[in-house]
Amino acid sequence: MCSGGDLIVNLIEYFVSNFTFILGYTWDHIKLVGLAIIIAIVIGVPLGIYCSVNKYAASTILQIASIMMTIPSLALFGIMIPVLSLINEGIGTLPAIIALVLYSQLPIIRNTYTAINNVDPDIRDAANGIGLTTFQRLIKVELPNAMPLIMAGIRTATVLNIGVGAIATLIGAGGLGGIIYQGILRTNNTMILAGAIAVAVLALIADLFLRLIENLFTPKGVKK
Amino acid sequence: MDRTNKTIALIIKLIFWALLIAFFVWAFANNMFSKIWEQPDTFLRLLGEHITIVLLSGAAAVLLAVPLGIFVTRPKFRKSEWLIVGIANLGQTIPSLAVLALAMGFLGIGISAAVVALFVYSLLPILQNTIAGLDSVDDNMIDAAKGMGLTNTQILWKIELPNALTSIIAGVRTALVINIGTAALAYLIGAGGLGVWIFTGIRLFDNAFLMSGAVPVTLLAIVIDYLFKWLQFALVPKGLRLARKAQNS
Amino acid sequence: MIHFNDVTKIYNSNVKAIENMNFTVEEGELVIMLGPSGCGKTTLLRMVNQLESITKGDIMLNGKSVWHSNKIEMRRNIGYVIQSNGLFPNMNIEDNAMIVPNLLGWDRKKMRDRFNMLMELVGLNPDEYRKRYPHELSGGQQQRVGVARALAADPPVMLMDEPFGALDPIIRTHLQEEFLQIQKELKKTILFVSHDIDEAVKMADKIALLKGGKMMQYAEPARMLNKPANSFVAEFVGQDRVLKSMSLYTVRDLANALTLKPVIESPDSQNINENLSLRVAISKILNQEADQLIVENDNGTRKGSITLDLIEQFLHREIKESV
Repeated sequence: MCSGGDLIVNLIEYFVSNFTFILGYTWDHIKLVGLAIIIAIVIGVPLGIYCSVNKYAASTILQIASIMMTIPSLALFGIMIPVLSLINEGIGTLPAIIALVLYSQLPIIRNTYTAINNVDPDIRDAANGIGLTTFQRLIKVELPNAMPLIMAGIRTATVLNIGVGAIATLIGAGGLGGIIYQGILRTNNTMILAGAIAVAVLALIADLFLRLIENLFTPKGVKK
Repeated sequence: MDRTNKTIALIIKLIFWALLIAFFVWAFANNMFSKIWEQPDTFLRLLGEHITIVLLSGAAAVLLAVPLGIFVTRPKFRKSEWLIVGIANLGQTIPSLAVLALAMGFLGIGISAAVVALFVYSLLPILQNTIAGLDSVDDNMIDAAKGMGLTNTQILWKIELPNALTSIIAGVRTALVINIGTAALAYLIGAGGLGVWIFTGIRLFDNAFLMSGAVPVTLLAIVIDYLFKWLQFALVPKGLRLARKAQNS
Repeated sequence: MIHFNDVTKIYNSNVKAIENMNFTVEEGELVIMLGPSGCGKTTLLRMVNQLESITKGDIMLNGKSVWHSNKIEMRRNIGYVIQSNGLFPNMNIEDNAMIVPNLLGWDRKKMRDRFNMLMELVGLNPDEYRKRYPHELSGGQQQRVGVARALAADPPVMLMDEPFGALDPIIRTHLQEEFLQIQKELKKTILFVSHDIDEAVKMADKIALLKGGKMMQYAEPARMLNKPANSFVAEFVGQDRVLKSMSLYTVRDLANALTLKPVIESPDSQNINENLSLRVAISKILNQEADQLIVENDNGTRKGSITLDLIEQFLHREIKESV
């Protein structure tokens, strides 16, 4: 056990001397989470849109998504390994990506659904009144107005996934969790802390970056 | 239109259940829960450890986070609120694995390190929700209560806490569900729990160990989640449920 | 009963919200504080029950300084009604209405009787509403419960902060009239904040018109309408102040001031009770094209008749007298 001052010195030393090594882990982490989020958006946003036109399906889909969210990450990996070993993909990136995609569904679907439902009924009426088709109304009116909330859902999912991604290392998916795990095996506090800080910083940067995009994607008139 | 929508919803539900049933049939057919029957004593011990870690840390977190949330929302300390909320937000970006690992670094291997780690980790959502719940109480309502001569303590107990209860229970619910998952990692710091079988399964590539550990952990999380959803309904005064409904409609 | 003695409120050591306020609300009077937003009327109201502090001066409540009273005890002796959201959603109607008696430790039986009595008073069926919750009630019903709650411990003084402001016009008129009836019976000392001149004219015994934390005029409604103290008051009460003031005079006032014309039987005449307002009289004349109205007292005895000329004469007299 070492004092706080030593710990900080050790940490800085560790970051400096293992810079490329940490960068590699970070890149793996970003690839894993990034790929999962893209897939999650492709599935989740259309599902959210569909939910906004079918309220019966909405409650079913949201219920299923919230059950998915409840499943502990390690347990989800544990369940997926035997299932995916049927196609010889039990350990590695595939179960990790599937798990991250499943976890992202609730925030993305829920926010898309709420955002579209929250669009002022008067605006919708006006859109119908000037003769837009349902599809045109969706693209031109509802989605632009819903954009900030949808992006917020994507942001929540991303930050969450960066944390879960740290556990994915345990089933061989790589990423920053690896530094923490090695720290545990070697009982090396510096490494554990270095890994934790790297994950937290990555989450904060992702959060900031997505807020920026959210701002870019938000039509001027919708900004508060 | 309505009927088609209902039918589609029903089909989605049926597919979900079918997949679930198929999964269990497949798992049973391949004897994947065999460890539970073969080693019931070990199973019960691991389950007991798991629940102990979760409940001890959760209870301690409630006992600290709720009073702390009340404390920082008092007018005198309002100025420090942003700081606490900021720490709570920041803290949640630290992965649970790291919190466990750090606790081990300072407290050594064993169940107490796991309890401390989970305690710290569950403080954040409970604190966050307590503060949010108390902040959401309508100022007019508090004003009316003050004007009628309720003391600050009476306002807290009769008005603020009942109105913040939904949010506080939601925080406890989130914290416990996260804890059940994090406790599965407690094996890594020698604290036992059902994670022992999951990790053994990963290491030995043994599906029976994997499933006998992972499925009970999942069920535990879902049961606790539903239990608290029910509590949220049962404990929250009826008038507030109506208020919420009125707001959402 | 409520005496404002040189009351001053200063924010941030230089912004004067209230400046040297001096006036008295007599026992049993309903005084409405009126003024544009930001004039300090709500601040002044909230200083009475010490939700706002007093920088200088003092408010005497029944001869006792609020500044030196125990806040909690004092507040329990003052009924307080606010615009909206004042009911507690977690409590049912009975618990809401009986919160102060409950704090004061009344016994169950006494509380139940009081609840039944108050609900009858505000026009709600006690048994129908007892176990219901605020969100099951309409805005008007909620505000009735708000009034019942303020009256619960039978406080001699009531403070009302735009109590009917959030209601739609028809309900608002209903509640104003009902409340006036209740006030006639109970004779509470009431300080009431409003931004609506019509509400003030209709309900107040006296109006306190404020601007920028200063008192512009403190007078009976008729006096304020017909004898505005300065151009701000004249502008605030409106171009139609003379018309408005007509609802404040009864036919009897006219009969006492001027000599009525003799009764001439004609198909164009109508009867009018002497307790009705001049406004009713003039609209009868204009709407129903009656040339004259025959004034009757409650027993049906005819006292003479009035015409448009006579009303005009009366108003000229009142306004001239007041300038």
